[in-house]
Amino acid sequence: MSIDGDRSRRAVLKAAVALGGASALSACLDRTDDDPVPTGDPAAKPPRQHAWREYVRHDDHGNSRLPAHQVLLYLDFDVGGPPTDADRDALAASLAALDRAYAWRHEGLLHSIAYSPAYFDRFDTPLPEGIDLPEPTALSPFESPTFDRQDAVLHLASDRADAVLEADRALRGEREAANGVSVPSLTEVATVDSRRTGFVGAGLPAANQDAAGIPDSKPVPEASPLFMGFEAGFRGNQATEDYVTVDTGPFAGGTTKVIANLRQRLADWYDEQSHEERVMEMFSPGHAENGLVEGVGDNLGSSSGIDRFVDSVVDDAREHGRVGHAQKAARANRDADGNVRLLRRHFESTDDIGSDQRVASLHFPSLQRRISAFEAVRRAMNGTDLTEATPAIRQRVNNGILEYIFVRRRGNFLVPPRRHRVLPTPRPE
Amino acid sequence: MKRRELLRTGAALSGALTLAGCSSLIETRAAGVPPVPENRPDGVYYPSHVEGMEMVGTASSGDYTVGLMYSYPHRFWNVNGESVALTEIDADDAVHLMASVWDTDTEAILPDTGLSAEIYREGSLVSQEAIYPMLSQPMGFHYGANFGLDGEGEYTVRLSVGAMSTRRTGAFEGRFADPTTVEIPFEYSEAAKEDIAFRTLDDQVSTPGAVDAMAMTALPDAVAPAESALPGRVLGSATSDDARLIVTALDTPPAGVDGDGTYLAVSARTRYNRMVIPAMGLSGRLARNGEAVYDGAFERTLDPDLGYHYGAVVDDIASGDELTLSVTVQPQTARHEGYETAFGGLMGGMPDVTVAVP
Ligand code: HEM
Repeated sequence: MSIDGDRSRRAVLKAAVALGGASALSACLDRTDDDPVPTGDPAAKPPRQHAWREYVRHDDHGNSRLPAHQVLLYLDFDVGGPPTDADRDALAASLAALDRAYAWRHEGLLHSIAYSPAYFDRFDTPLPEGIDLPEPTALSPFESPTFDRQDAVLHLASDRADAVLEADRALRGEREAANGVSVPSLTEVATVDSRRTGFVGAGLPAANQDAAGIPDSKPVPEASPLFMGFEAGFRGNQATEDYVTVDTGPFAGGTTKVIANLRQRLADWYDEQSHEERVMEMFSPGHAENGLVEGVGDNLGSSSGIDRFVDSVVDDAREHGRVGHAQKAARANRDADGNVRLLRRHFESTDDIGSDQRVASLHFPSLQRRISAFEAVRRAMNGTDLTEATPAIRQRVNNGILEYIFVRRRGNFLVPPRRHRVLPTPRPE
Repeated sequence: MKRRELLRTGAALSGALTLAGCSSLIETRAAGVPPVPENRPDGVYYPSHVEGMEMVGTASSGDYTVGLMYSYPHRFWNVNGESVALTEIDADDAVHLMASVWDTDTEAILPDTGLSAEIYREGSLVSQEAIYPMLSQPMGFHYGANFGLDGEGEYTVRLSVGAMSTRRTGAFEGRFADPTTVEIPFEYSEAAKEDIAFRTLDDQVSTPGAVDAMAMTALPDAVAPAESALPGRVLGSATSDDARLIVTALDTPPAGVDGDGTYLAVSARTRYNRMVIPAMGLSGRLARNGEAVYDGAFERTLDPDLGYHYGAVVDDIASGDELTLSVTVQPQTARHEGYETAFGGLMGGMPDVTVAVP
């Protein structure tokens, strides 16, 4: 196969996940001349559904490179009350088929299903004390998101666009099999209320920068994994999977997951600001002053180095009239021992939920032991105290990246350990 | 979204979006805007021209009423900390949208709420921005931004008001604490826009003074209380770079302010039109026989009687005390022409002022 042929095939696949269109999908499924996607052994899966770190690529500094193509299927179960054995058998069959169809690794398929507070409401028994799973709520003084209160969300991720798309189509009943394995459709037990798609990694944001929200100047660097032009998710600024894992009770081995969707409006970000100003607002004024971030920030290595600028945030606000996003968030993102509390796994999208438009957005899944940890960090990001310290920091302006991101959705979920992933009761045995 | 972007997106979706109306985007008005006047004084001055504005509509939700107005695209000066930078009219800009937020009950204008706008056309997103607070001579405080549109027709503008973090006192305590969103339909036609008044000034241009405030029936004004209407005992006033600061003393702080003693409130307004000047950093030193009895911040505060002001609690005041006020951060609002050199602004400098207690 010629290089050009290969490139155009990739282009089709990228476009297919981004657009989610059935026609784009079949176009890419006709072209199966790549390496085979590895199939899986259900017995060889890790006990945690959120065990991704060991199974994804890492960069030279040991930072995770999240799977390039991702799909979120928001599900409403047909049954209103407690699920029956038949419901459980049906869902278990779909998930088990995925396990057989794909190896648990980035060039196979990583997947996890998580359940909302609304799902657990159908049972008389409450969740165990130790599980902190409130309904989603507004977390800034200026947002009014629509809350995702569907029963569950199934997250599919792979570096192979064809793997994600086949699994997605089979689960939604649009095809019989995925990677040669027959997959019973989820539609036996659930309705797909919302299907969201995305991508992450160098090259993909640049290739999708024709989306609304990104200025015409084609500003997104080829090297950037995200639309905003910087790397994120440095190892030193992420919680470990162990840290975010619930350690006692029936859901030991599970975690909680917040998924937000934010629209990005990057005209002023790129057209009115220099790289240095962007570094100030994304990291901290200290990062800009000391020239710590080159290009997309690969030179930072395995940590953003934010910790030394956290205490100076109020002084920075007064002196520079600007504060950094990472700087504000980090204030609430350490426990008493200095451990990082959140494991962020965000990826980009051109979904505009509720319309067919291509609009730059971000799906923001975050894992943490307790939802309240996420809420505290997200509130710290508001910098309300800094707006009080100086009028130069406004509610959204000069206040990290708040001017450029607009929260549209938020949902809270519990990711059970693998052994309880099928329609769990609040107190599974 | 810019028009070119829309065209591209439309193509990518193979015609899923309707492109009707895209051809009539060319703006002629911007070409007629006179240049920024030469020899501007350091202070409020008569601008080169005045544009009228047209009311689009109002909508209420929660504590707030929001009014939406539009006019020709404007040039303005953005203020961020110490920097003041001219934002020119972009070739793609179709309108300058302006919004005011006020308390539905008292019609008090609310600065510092934060505001963002989403513009939709037939369900498709055209634009979304956080809108900057601004000061103009005809309107005083408002939120404003230039926007490109996708031609003439029906738009929906969704305006999201943020909760206030500015201290609120008296009957305003605990109010304006939640965000809200309102929707206002906007029928855009170039003919209607071209009907909006546009007047150039002649001899007055660049001389000290300000054009009159515009009276709009549907819109409360953003004027500070007259000196005689301020509660408490007015101690005096002083002017710093055409910001007039009036100091009044209340025997007890209004509800919502911690501390006991005399409450000193500084009401800041533009020199000629008495427009409220919000979003400054202000500190003050109260000296008695040369010794400081208070030295600290005057906090941004919104009170139903005092209006928007800067306040501090001091133990007491005595005849002969001197209050020296220092602007630590110039008003963080963008400026329309005629205000960009005043109140700090392009030429900097808001000197300290002193008011003696009579
Ligand atoms: C478009 C949206 C966003 C972009 C492009 C973005 C990007 C970044 C970048 C580049 C960093 C610094 C590098 C790193 O540590 O990963 C960072 C840090 C961080 N961001 Fe974001 N972010 C976004 C939204 C959010 C949101 C909505 C949250 C919500 C809580 C958040 C929470 C954090 C946290 C906790 C950190 C780490 C600070 C620490 O070191 O503890 N970010 N982000």
